[in-house]
Amino acid sequence: MPRDTLADLADEALVVLYAHGDPDAARLLAGRLLPRVLGYAGRMLADRIEAEDVAQEAMLRLWKVAPEWRQGEAKVSTWIYRVVANLCTDRLRARRRRRAEALDDVAEPADGAASVVAGMIEADRMAALDLALAALPERQREAVVLRHIEGFSNPEIAEILQIGVEAVESLTARGKRALAALLSGQRAALGYEDGGV
Amino acid sequence: MMDDLDDLFAGASRALVPPSDALMARVMADAAALQVRPVVAVVPRAGWLAGLAALFGGAGSLVGVGSAAVAGLFFGFVQPEGMGAVAEMWAGSAVDQVDLMPQLDVLLAEE
Repeated sequence: MPRDTLADLADEALVVLYAHGDPDAARLLAGRLLPRVLGYAGRMLADRIEAEDVAQEAMLRLWKVAPEWRQGEAKVSTWIYRVVANLCTDRLRARRRRRAEALDDVAEPADGAASVVAGMIEADRMAALDLALAALPERQREAVVLRHIEGFSNPEIAEILQIGVEAVESLTARGKRALAALLSGQRAALGYEDGGV
Repeated sequence: MMDDLDDLFAGASRALVPPSDALMARVMADAAALQVRPVVAVVPRAGWLAGLAALFGGAGSLVGVGSAAVAGLFFGFVQPEGMGAVAEMWAGSAVDQVDLMPQLDVLLAEE
């Protein structure tokens, strides 16, 4: 199938074409999905190398599941974000285990990150946002990133995180309030002090 | 601060992280390794002999025609004695000349 025609197809159709041996379908899917899942994993893990590993693993699972993919049953984007969310959760748990083994007394993430945010006078806005996000509890961070940065609807987030829609609403609301509190002292550093926004 | 936060979110959602070439290469290598290659049926090209056989209605017919031709050449060159005896019995006399169109004798006779 010509590449121009493929570019108009939905992700789900590309997965089916990939499973049938189309050589261009994989490249188009990777071009669409990889930057998104890499960004999401990067925000969840705050580690570029780990984020790349997770993104590659998520894509690998997509290639593996492609022959059984049925159009209309699930959205590829929702499915792959769920995979990334689970992979990130596993890595964050492993990280916490390692930290617990290394230290007798584990500091609460929010406390440590708040001081990091306070020290970020010279940092740019995105870095400040990422640091503040890293300070949120994991579930809140997932919900806020999926809702406000990745642009998913609450029902889609519920599917990705495998929780109820009400829980999503609660997580995003609490996460957003916590972020506002973390960043409120940094308005000048973020360039908002003159009241322009 | 909530408005500022929305502004930050909007900026973050626009700022996609481009994957490195190395990562893209790894992902594409995985895709290639796991992709099922389409099965392409290879139809052998028909040779001149197959074409000739088709002209005679198939390879079996071609073999029959070929055998008859070889047998005809054999009898023509060898002229076995038995064949002469059979022809004599059928014609009633020794056969050394066969008139294939006797009705033309009338036309050819000189007046």
